[in-house]
Amino acid sequence: MIYQLLVPGPVEDVEEVRILEWHGGPGSAFAPGDLVVELETHKALIEVRAGRASTLRAILCKEGAWQRIGAPLAVFSDAADEPVPDNAAELAELAVSFEVV
Amino acid sequence: MSAEPDATTKLFFREAIVRALGEEMRRDEGLVLMGQDIGAFGGPYREFDGLHARFGSGRVRDMPVAEGAMVGVGAGYAAAGGRALVSITYMDFLMLALDPLVNYAAKLRYKTGGQLHAPLVVKTTAGAKGQGVAHSQCIEAWMMGVPGLKVVAPSTPADAYGLLKSALREDGPVLYIDHKRLFPMAGHVPVSESCVPLGVARVERAGGDVTLVGHSWMMVPVLAAADRLETEGISCEVIDLRTLAPLDTAALCASAGRTGALVTVEEGQLTCGVGAEIAFRVHEAVPGIRAARVGAAPAPVSSNPVLEAAVVPDADRIVAAVCRLLRGKP
Repeated sequence: MIYQLLVPGPVEDVEEVRILEWHGGPGSAFAPGDLVVELETHKALIEVRAGRASTLRAILCKEGAWQRIGAPLAVFSDAADEPVPDNAAELAELAVSFEVV
Repeated sequence: MSAEPDATTKLFFREAIVRALGEEMRRDEGLVLMGQDIGAFGGPYREFDGLHARFGSGRVRDMPVAEGAMVGVGAGYAAAGGRALVSITYMDFLMLALDPLVNYAAKLRYKTGGQLHAPLVVKTTAGAKGQGVAHSQCIEAWMMGVPGLKVVAPSTPADAYGLLKSALREDGPVLYIDHKRLFPMAGHVPVSESCVPLGVARVERAGGDVTLVGHSWMMVPVLAAADRLETEGISCEVIDLRTLAPLDTAALCASAGRTGALVTVEEGQLTCGVGAEIAFRVHEAVPGIRAARVGAAPAPVSSNPVLEAAVVPDADRIVAAVCRLLRGKP
């Protein structure tokens, strides 16, 4: 299964966040509860933790970039070698939302 | 590292303020910041983040809850040859500090025959955001008629940065007003160090049928209203005042002279308000101008969100005011 990590929300007053730090890169395996990425709002840090065991395949927003609430941040898959489409449209069709905590 | 002249970087509103303060503190070693919770805590909106660590507690001074004393000390330090920025957390609390600001700082140069002046910025945060009758007010119109006092109110991170820097280079006192609802906002700010001149409004959007004028947070509903009116075939020229005193009367008259219609928008009260002043000045220069004002209902701002929204202007009310003015009906 292919997953897309979206900027979690809604967050009161917040339309977009800045990506502060990724805690892994393509190929990194995450267990449930592992810290994936830290996002910054105007007044808080949001820790995004994996809601399921999976492998990070692609980062779509680099550290320092901005992304809107609900927009994609990264691609995950169950199996580390599962083929992942590289175009956004196909990906959006295939992928389901990655659960976060 | 040198940047392209037009290069920008995206910052949160608070970061634009921190950057302006940091640059000006480096430029002017006499500049001291004073306010409640601006030290290690970093400011009520984190708009002083990191400055205490960089410049120390001598130059970034936490103050007690005593607004009159804070502005008094700031004005005195400025008069003695320093430069001060005093942070008044909410604009409502500025009422406690009007005596040192209006009677001392603003009049110092006049009453000493030019021998003394008070390079003082009072920074404060206006506006309604669920905090009730005494933490929500916009009283900038009160301050526009004080000779010797300049008043600025940015609506974007870029203007917050550039206007605050200009304010911190003035000889006399400047009231710098931001807004609670602007702090979640991010926007593009020049990479190169730069200032926004005081007293110059910005045409935010060109249009031909009506001139909409606002400042601070009200620019958000004004621009939303202009978008909606566009779909109804009404083309709005939108002006962001940026500086309330001195008013950029020339820019307002030039625009209203072209469009023939003027709608002013403010979050504060309409009586003796920003819009009343603008409408009369434009009327003097552009006889026959059709004008309307949008502002708060004549009631306190409740902490109840339904009642708060009932008082404060929104895009619906701006659209309705424009339609009434141009078509004679809502």
